[in-house]
Amino acid sequence: MEREEVKRRIAERFGAKVKIAERSPKRVYVYAENEIWVDLARFLFEELDARFDTGAAVDDREGVEVMFFMPFDREHYYVTIKTFAAKPHPTLDSITPVIPGANWIEREMFEMYEVNFRNHPDLRPVLRADTRPADFYPAKREVKDGLPLVRNRDDGDWRADEVAGRPPKGKNP
Amino acid sequence: MAKKIPIGPFHPILEEPEFFELHVEGERVVKIDQTIGWSHRGIELLSEHKTWDQVPFLVERICGICSCSHPYAYVKAVEDLCQVEVPLRAQFIRCIAAELERLHSHLLWTGLAGHFLGYNTVFMWTWKFREPLLDVLEAVTGNRNHYAVMRPGGVRRDLPAEEIPNILKLLDRLEKENDLLTKAIVDDPVIHARTKGVGVFDKANCRLYGALGPTARSAGYDIDARRDHPMDAYDKVSFKVILCEHGDVFDKAVVRQLENFESIKIIRQCLSLISDTKAGDICAEIREVPPGEGLGMYEAPRGEVLHYVRSNGGNMPIRHKVRAPSFNNILTNNVSVPGNTVSDAGLITAAVDPCYSCTERVGVVDCRSGGRRVLTEADIVRLSHERTEEIRRRLAAEAGRE
Repeated sequence: MEREEVKRRIAERFGAKVKIAERSPKRVYVYAENEIWVDLARFLFEELDARFDTGAAVDDREGVEVMFFMPFDREHYYVTIKTFAAKPHPTLDSITPVIPGANWIEREMFEMYEVNFRNHPDLRPVLRADTRPADFYPAKREVKDGLPLVRNRDDGDWRADEVAGRPPKGKNP
Repeated sequence: MAKKIPIGPFHPILEEPEFFELHVEGERVVKIDQTIGWSHRGIELLSEHKTWDQVPFLVERICGICSCSHPYAYVKAVEDLCQVEVPLRAQFIRCIAAELERLHSHLLWTGLAGHFLGYNTVFMWTWKFREPLLDVLEAVTGNRNHYAVMRPGGVRRDLPAEEIPNILKLLDRLEKENDLLTKAIVDDPVIHARTKGVGVFDKANCRLYGALGPTARSAGYDIDARRDHPMDAYDKVSFKVILCEHGDVFDKAVVRQLENFESIKIIRQCLSLISDTKAGDICAEIREVPPGEGLGMYEAPRGEVLHYVRSNGGNMPIRHKVRAPSFNNILTNNVSVPGNTVSDAGLITAAVDPCYSCTERVGVVDCRSGGRRVLTEADIVRLSHERTEEIRRRLAAEAGRE
């Protein structure tokens, strides 16, 4: 389906709940509100016949930006759908019941960024070792009152310096 | 109550870390539970501490076999972000290196699959055919693996004109050798009996599970990033996207073998077109990377590799997401393994050509007794060899009766 047609149909269906931007003829970005997130993915995948590729998350201090890449291969362009899950406990509806291929990438986002995907059939960590503390999300920037959160390392040592980007005390950087 | 068979921690064929837990009833697998992440190295985070120019050296170490594909997708993402046009000569050099990589990757897989089926001659042949390829890669890029050829804006090293006749000579020889291998696979009744109808993953599931590369094309799901999202010289050369229809292990092997011919065709065209370009013009200068985001993809031997980068205008990416094709393809085992026997499970999980570093253990759980045992690599390979031998004896007996 042609790019303009896809943009028109998304705007028609979701109105003010989405914002559509275009960086180049090959890249279309759709920013969606949380509540229509699954509907938007379903609309693109089932009605507009986009392919599901994968997803990514970016920590933005205030929350986690979650995105899925859905290419239209015949027309040579990518649509990236994005939404923002606010901290302290980012929560979103899972698209795995609609697209089973999103299963592992959602699990990865959960274990790395603590994005809690509601209705996910099996939301366990997919990559990390079983010995990691359950409440440790490696890629999530934890901030409280504008300052990095103090947290003990796996070995019990204090790791606030490393979180703040300073070399650990007493060691040669 | 199902019996569980653990396979791993290393894949029985591919010597890479993954854990499978097979839930079985007798010999038949009813469910598979896969655990990945045993070699998680934090590449994405490391990348956020390297400059834009250093990252290709890091990402080519994601996988020893795809050491051209990952940097290729990464530089395309940076070029998407900077909107840079790559010089024509660099485009051809990129395609030549990437297609040579595809050839050696597909040959490697065919050899390993041969070994697993009990055809050790195929294994030795493919490794013999592959060796000169690595020599050519060394001549073209300077390295047998980890080529360090890609950089944002172009390539690091020009193709020496005196190497072109050597590459053409190798391609002529390789074409004949690949033909021999393809016929050996397609004409062998035992391979037919052993791999046809085994580990079927159909077209509808390919779409649902996001299957990529030969895994998808073997079921007739027509995707290929080289054609669908044309990059560099791929829209200047002609090639066919190889499709089969059944999605079983046999079709996956056929797709890879036939793709080798297409790669040879692409390299020949690039070598003929490169002579019209100016020697030395191999890189466009990128002064600075603007704030924003870029998306790059490339059709690696196993399927589409995708890299996403985000910049704040500084000299390092603030986010770099890497999606290797095996991440999507390994998930397809959840559908293709159940219904098959334990002796086929190792073969099916290897048929997607998994690359775990981009992600081995098999546990077997008996659904009836609840018993549990661990199969070693030797057990899995022995089971597979026994199955091939059984088929071979059956076919010989049938031929004797006729």
